Amino acid sequence: MNLLEVTELTKNYPTFTLENVSFQVPAGKIIGLIGVNGAGKTTILKALLNLIPVDHGKVTMFEKYFLENEQSCKQKTGVVLGGIDFYKEKKVKDITMVTKRFYDDWDEAAYQKFLKLFSLDPNKKVKELSAGMRVKYLIALALSHQAKLFIFDEPTSGLDPVSRDELIEIFLQIVKNGDKSILFSTHITSDLEKCADAIVYIKEGKLVKEAPKQEFIAYFQKLKRPDETAMLSLEDIMVRMEGKHYDF
Amino acid sequence: MTSNLLYKELRLAAHPNLFIFALMGPLVLIPGYPYMMVFLFSLIGNFVNLMYTRETNDIYYTTLLPLKRSEVVLGKWLVLLVSQLVTILFSIPFAFLRLRLFSLPNPVGIEANVAFYGFGLMIFACFNFIFLTSYFQTVYKVGTSFLKGLFFATVLAIIVEVSVHFPMLAWLDTVTFAGQLKQLPILAAGVLIYVVAMWGAYKVSAKRFRQVNL
Repeated sequence: MNLLEVTELTKNYPTFTLENVSFQVPAGKIIGLIGVNGAGKTTILKALLNLIPVDHGKVTMFEKYFLENEQSCKQKTGVVLGGIDFYKEKKVKDITMVTKRFYDDWDEAAYQKFLKLFSLDPNKKVKELSAGMRVKYLIALALSHQAKLFIFDEPTSGLDPVSRDELIEIFLQIVKNGDKSILFSTHITSDLEKCADAIVYIKEGKLVKEAPKQEFIAYFQKLKRPDETAMLSLEDIMVRMEGKHYDF
Repeated sequence: MTSNLLYKELRLAAHPNLFIFALMGPLVLIPGYPYMMVFLFSLIGNFVNLMYTRETNDIYYTTLLPLKRSEVVLGKWLVLLVSQLVTILFSIPFAFLRLRLFSLPNPVGIEANVAFYGFGLMIFACFNFIFLTSYFQTVYKVGTSFLKGLFFATVLAIIVEVSVHFPMLAWLDTVTFAGQLKQLPILAAGVLIYVVAMWGAYKVSAKRFRQVNL
């Protein structure tokens, strides 16, 4: 079963176009959305959550048309948008107090468990949390309202290697039962090497390739130079696909 | 859902100045003062509140909650409604108190009477429609939206304050029981204009917000 199906998503801006992007997120999988800065990753994530209206395309979440079932779909979705912090001056417990009122399946015991597990102090203000802790807090909220689909926009960007590794461990735990999925945009491809099941590669607003990770890597081995024997990593693939040469 | 939205607005999104500026009713105790300022101060509170909304990324937070986009608009609409009702209701006891404390009329402009509240509702209606619909066109141009709304609200307030100095409109300035009964149609018109403007403000804002790229 696919928890998310994106079909021919198109969004036109004056200087950028997201063009006919389609992909699926099956249950129990971590899908990595990769591309350089400005490739359209955030636009895709925002478009599928109706944060930006699209010009064309369809988003099906939990086998329901998203726009017609926005509230019920969002009940089962957890979102972390990179670089956007809410209510920095508010305490974690105050934000939780409000947030939980909007979710039908809020599990207070689970929330308390995740607070302890992630060492989150509910009396701290958002601005007092480190970048990694902020992501963990949003994940704790999502897990407490029984989210099935997690949408993360660059959740590991700007984090130290230890925090990134810790988050990846959490991501693997989230999907291990096979009923939850993660769609995870990043340009830090080494994170995806560790946890992604499939890769969706976006370049200049267009889908270049969508495939299971090993198949994806194998497909791009054609970029190897004749003298190279080692397999190209995801990072090598991106650099060769996107790299520019400057001659001063 | 409405109560949850209002709870969220007041608990997380509201700036303290929203409440302070909504409680300017005691200004009607000043013997000589343009009492229409009570309403204009309330507008400033809502302006500061939406500035704070932008600063705290409240619109992002709310849009990601299990809500429709129109309900995001409803939250801000409710704050306008509640803060303005509080402004009016909180000021009424002070309007009565003024009658007890001072026998001389307000030399500056309109008295805090029935017509005053009718015109106040008209000022709120005018501001709300312009401010809210302009704000939800972008959800970041708070200053421009406020200035547009404030301009028309201030012009209306000045007209009211000046008009009571004309002898033919002196009946708008009376505080006698019988005189205030004659002003009831102004209050009724204020209520009607407020209801229509709020309905229109919500509809137009929701339609505009559907097209906003967050």
